[in-house]
Amino acid sequence: MKKTVTVQNKLGIHARPAAELVKLASKFKSEIIIAKNDRKVNGKSIMGVITLVAECGSEIEITANGVDEQDAINAIIELFNNKFYEE
Amino acid sequence: MNEISVEKLFKENQDRLQLVILNNENGFNKVIKEPELHRPGLALSGFVDVFTYNRVQIVGNTELAYLETLSSEDRYSSLRKVLDFDIPCIIVTDNNVPPQVMIEIANEKKITIFRSVYSTTHVIQLLSAYLEKKFAPFTTVHGSMVDVYGYGVLITGRSGIGKSEIALDLVERGHRLVADDVVNVIRMTENILIATGSELLKHHMEIRGIGIIDIRRIFGIRGIRQQKRIEVEVHLEDWEEGKDYDRTGLEEKASSLLDVEVPLVKLPIFPGKNVTVIIETIALNQLLKTTLGYNTAQEMNERLIRRMQDEQTDIRDYISFDLE
Repeated sequence: MKKTVTVQNKLGIHARPAAELVKLASKFKSEIIIAKNDRKVNGKSIMGVITLVAECGSEIEITANGVDEQDAINAIIELFNNKFYEE
Repeated sequence: MNEISVEKLFKENQDRLQLVILNNENGFNKVIKEPELHRPGLALSGFVDVFTYNRVQIVGNTELAYLETLSSEDRYSSLRKVLDFDIPCIIVTDNNVPPQVMIEIANEKKITIFRSVYSTTHVIQLLSAYLEKKFAPFTTVHGSMVDVYGYGVLITGRSGIGKSEIALDLVERGHRLVADDVVNVIRMTENILIATGSELLKHHMEIRGIGIIDIRRIFGIRGIRQQKRIEVEVHLEDWEEGKDYDRTGLEEKASSLLDVEVPLVKLPIFPGKNVTVIIETIALNQLLKTTLGYNTAQEMNERLIRRMQDEQTDIRDYISFDLE
């Protein structure tokens, strides 16, 4: 399943939010793909997530495939909506 | 160690300081309880209110020149007043000859007087370094201490996690073992921790399945060293599925040893993981940080944040620099 979300924290997905994101994604069994402008990376890879250069305001598409895909997407969207607990 | 005997001080410094005994060994059982030294110039001139008599007293050219200026009665009463205190021992520097009356009173008070050929400054330097080490705060740590590319790595973790095996692997790759299992640690000056091995264990280690082995015999002198500053602690942990591990290295952790902060890396391990190479990399990465001030995680992050604030660059711009 797929969902789109907006990066809301001021600094964008820099290293700390990226680490939060991959740590959260790694808790789920599903395969998780994070995409920005058709660039797709593995949501459990920090180096991948960093290369998206996802600044504030950018649209991110999250795809999850697996047994816990619904929970994974919900949890990740919550993290985005909470601005990665940065502000 | 809270005190050392005058005898020990003499035996361990006889050669270093070129010490000779000017009177006798009657004061050998006296103990030194402080690492500081004292020059009794002011005390000899009569001011003994805050005389730190319980320190090793260093008598140099100044003190002896002052005594020379006194009449024999005054010299006697000056020395009597000072030597009546419970002084552990006296070192006369610069190969000087102290007045006979000083030796007589010292004999009576069972204070041993030594003479060194070296200057006062030199004696103070050597003796301070020695005493500082003897009186330094001390503890022991269960772990392995290895010099990896000149960087002091203390490996800790639960018993049986494989500290010795990793240390052995590091030695095999050309690094140097300081101690295994029992690491003695002393604090030098404010914040320097020095690790040494136990005198009994030397560079032996126990490898499960083999038993006790002698690293020095097996790998030779290049595989060992006597002491090394602790510069980073690598704490080995069993890998746990679902546990949060550091992914960026942005956050710097530290452990506390004898009230000194030591950079700490928590390393989750599992069978088949090449911990040796990771520890080499930890040492090299720490070297980058401390020697060149290059913090990889931080600089990478700053670059990323700049990039997000700039105009978005296309991957094609990056490739345009490299037409290979």
